[in-house]
Amino acid sequence: MNNFLARIVQHWHGNAIGTRHPAAAFARPSDCLARLPGVAALFFVLFAAGSGANAAQHVGADDKLIALEAADANTLVKATAHALYRSSNDGKNWERIALPTTMKGIAAVAESTVHPDVLYVAGSGSGVLRSEDGGRNWVARNDGLPSRKVVALAAHATQADTVYAYVSGAGIFRSQDGGGHWTAMDHGPHDHVAGFVHSNMPGSMQTGWLFAATSNGVRRSMDCFCGWQSAGALKEVVHAVAYDPQQPRRVYAATGKGLFVSTDGGEQWTHAASPAGTITALTAAPSGTLYAASGSTIFRSTDQGKTWERTGA
Amino acid sequence: MRSVSPGAAIALFAIATLAHAAGTGSPAPDRMRLDTGRAIYQQRCAACHGAQGEGAPHWQQRDANGEMPPPPHDAQGHTWKHSDAMLYRLVSNGWRDPFNKTDRLTMPAFKDTLSPNEIRAVITYLKTLWTPQQRRFQREESRHQPFPPDAQ
Repeated sequence: MNNFLARIVQHWHGNAIGTRHPAAAFARPSDCLARLPGVAALFFVLFAAGSGANAAQHVGADDKLIALEAADANTLVKATAHALYRSSNDGKNWERIALPTTMKGIAAVAESTVHPDVLYVAGSGSGVLRSEDGGRNWVARNDGLPSRKVVALAAHATQADTVYAYVSGAGIFRSQDGGGHWTAMDHGPHDHVAGFVHSNMPGSMQTGWLFAATSNGVRRSMDCFCGWQSAGALKEVVHAVAYDPQQPRRVYAATGKGLFVSTDGGEQWTHAASPAGTITALTAAPSGTLYAASGSTIFRSTDQGKTWERTGA
Repeated sequence: MRSVSPGAAIALFAIATLAHAAGTGSPAPDRMRLDTGRAIYQQRCAACHGAQGEGAPHWQQRDANGEMPPPPHDAQGHTWKHSDAMLYRLVSNGWRDPFNKTDRLTMPAFKDTLSPNEIRAVITYLKTLWTPQQRRFQREESRHQPFPPDAQ
């Protein structure tokens, strides 16, 4: 991150006001205010002066992956607890995405399924950051969150600006304006949430479903937040959950006992072929290609988890 | 609320039509629409959702038939999380929980028995069962998802 510059910009009326765009960094405060919602809220904006491409580097073998995103064909985003990377060739090569120095650690990543250049990163204790340009510039997005202890993120399956955040000890919050403002939805599942995913599986009263990976199986709720239910009888500790956008009733769960798959929206689960003993992150591309991370290695399956190969091989 | 006589139905419809200030954005639901909604609720909805909107016992767990029991409509439930447009659709078209073990609708459809304004009146009544904070949330949810034009 040598070429990364985080700029805390102008202060006005006691609030830190800034801009994401270098060309506008010295605009009048009133210009900035006109572009930003929630005038009274505290905003601080940061941008990276260098592109992520310039900061390209290889990942250390001992860097355990905690998150994977694959919202675009052949483009993967992966995160360790300390760094964020992107690959534009399905995992063959990686470039590091610079993050503001205020981000002390990464807890979760979400990528817009509609605009893959839109990224969200959460750091436990650092809140939510949003980028509209693939990670070159970042904006803090925490208005309405009760604390910065965001431990999980999920982008809506079909709505570009809707994103969900799980705040430790507070529950699940929803933003319908790209993180501009967050609204409390419910307390979330009773059990510890390791991550969750939004799905456009049919049958919801509203627009879709949320599947949460918890310490006691997979929990499921319609996105109207009308109550969390156990998704089937899978009572394992679940590290990650994903669904197949091509067949939304097909849901995957990574547990300490391997990978499980459900073909009926989480009612019945069966063991699937697992590429490794412990899977720490899981995601499915729009095509249905499934990606699983174990340690620092990423595996890919193009046949719904029946067979696996290492990415970049 | 299984049946309403034609005369009563006409009267209820007329009352509901005259009432126009209730619902989204209105600080106080219109009294006539509210009375209409309360009457319809007791006739049509209370048998399943409870006279006070308290829902069926154990409503958060599937029953012996594998169906979700009728939930509360009061502050303990989740009705307040839905926009006016969605509540209208649910009452009008009904809804089936996709994980129910039976094929029947979880929530019956009322579009053939209640007029658009009667459906709106019932929903207006339900709002009286919520906390002020819940009403604010639901009003915000309804800002871009209001009642359909024929129920205005």
